[in-house]
Amino acid sequence: MRDALLIVKKDLLTEFRKKESIVSMVFFGFLLLVILNIAMGIGRELDGEIAAGILWVSIIFSAVLGLGRVLSQEKENRCIDGLLLSPVEPEQIYAAKTMVNFIFMVVAEVVLIPAFFVFYGDRFARHLPMLVVVVLLVNLGFSTVGTLFSAITAGTRRNEVLLPLLLFPVITPLIALAVKVTGSLFEDVPYREYSSWLYVIAAFGFIFSGVGYLLFDYVIKEG
Amino acid sequence: MDNGFRSRVLPVVVGLLFLSAIYTIFFYAPTERVMGIVQKIFYVHLSMAFTAFLSFFVAFVCGILYLTKKDIKWDVYGSSSVEIGVVFISLTLMSGVLWARPIWNTWWTWDPRLTTALILWFIYVSYLILRTSVEQEGKRAAYCAVLAIVGFVDVPIVFMSARIWRTIHPVVIRSDSIDMEPSMILTLVITLAAFLSLWFLLFKLKTSVALTCKRIRFLENKMEGGDL
Repeated sequence: MRDALLIVKKDLLTEFRKKESIVSMVFFGFLLLVILNIAMGIGRELDGEIAAGILWVSIIFSAVLGLGRVLSQEKENRCIDGLLLSPVEPEQIYAAKTMVNFIFMVVAEVVLIPAFFVFYGDRFARHLPMLVVVVLLVNLGFSTVGTLFSAITAGTRRNEVLLPLLLFPVITPLIALAVKVTGSLFEDVPYREYSSWLYVIAAFGFIFSGVGYLLFDYVIKEG
Repeated sequence: MDNGFRSRVLPVVVGLLFLSAIYTIFFYAPTERVMGIVQKIFYVHLSMAFTAFLSFFVAFVCGILYLTKKDIKWDVYGSSSVEIGVVFISLTLMSGVLWARPIWNTWWTWDPRLTTALILWFIYVSYLILRTSVEQEGKRAAYCAVLAIVGFVDVPIVFMSARIWRTIHPVVIRSDSIDMEPSMILTLVITLAAFLSLWFLLFKLKTSVALTCKRIRFLENKMEGGDL
């Protein structure tokens, strides 16, 4: 675990100095919120589920931008070989990269979600603590599958194009559940009515952290 | 590689099974009272859906075997299986759409089974796209094995999450009973056997072509190296 935290520290430091991933994630997500607001018709009151859909499209599309960089930056100057040669287990690298992606998503969301309330109305902010729980669980699911796929596409010729093509089909259920649960939150639906979907979101994260942990080794060694 | 007699018998068996499937579907099985002639698409639809799931399961198992054994033949088996599976899942979706229009009065609905089939289609088409994007054999095999495993693990989650929407898909076969006439069951069994034998034939042809390709490439490399 200490090794993983060292890699996380390294990546956060690099990001803090270069600021390339976070800035493009936040900018793109913000842009999507505006574009989708225009697409929905300016000045129209949206119902909860449509608003939830807009929020999640912005978050997921912006997160893919950051995800592509998480492993492809290690390919530059063959840094990944150095990482693999160092006495760090591949599983630790996977855990570290998942955490880095998770943190990037949280940082982007800290900007995007308030921006969402500004554009679409703060009546959606009533159940903020529960929204935070949903967001963190979806981040977990997205980061675990995403990091595994990011390792795959970083080894191909068409990294940036291929990643969403591979990732989106697999995370479609996650997005559908996130939209449904967030929509229920926005519509003041009582907890017991959407709790079972929340469990499926959590299960997605836990299942794929296991799958990723087992399979990452095979992917990264092919480099 | 395989003996000539068997490779000539199998296509004949597949052909005979398909002829008997067509005969039983149109002349033996009774016409359903409410849905009429449209119901006959069910035999083909269910058989193709089953073969598609079988293909993806085979790819999942081959993926695990490739990663543990590192033998390239498991990659050949897995990728051939996915290619056939994509054809069958596409046909399943199309035949379902054709049935749904007259019966449900809509081409498409977000029912768990339909949604699962559609997302499966997306996952395994992305598998085929991934195959064209990697040139090195070992790397491509490992990546595709991982995707086949992840895709298959995703199936139950897709199905569970799609229950958000209410189901209107008919449930004909439950774990304890089958809501069908005996003659309809027999028709279904024959059609299913026809499609399974077709799957096996395609799988054999596809893998033997792929293995022959590998052998030719190996020999070509050897000749260029001047060893022969």
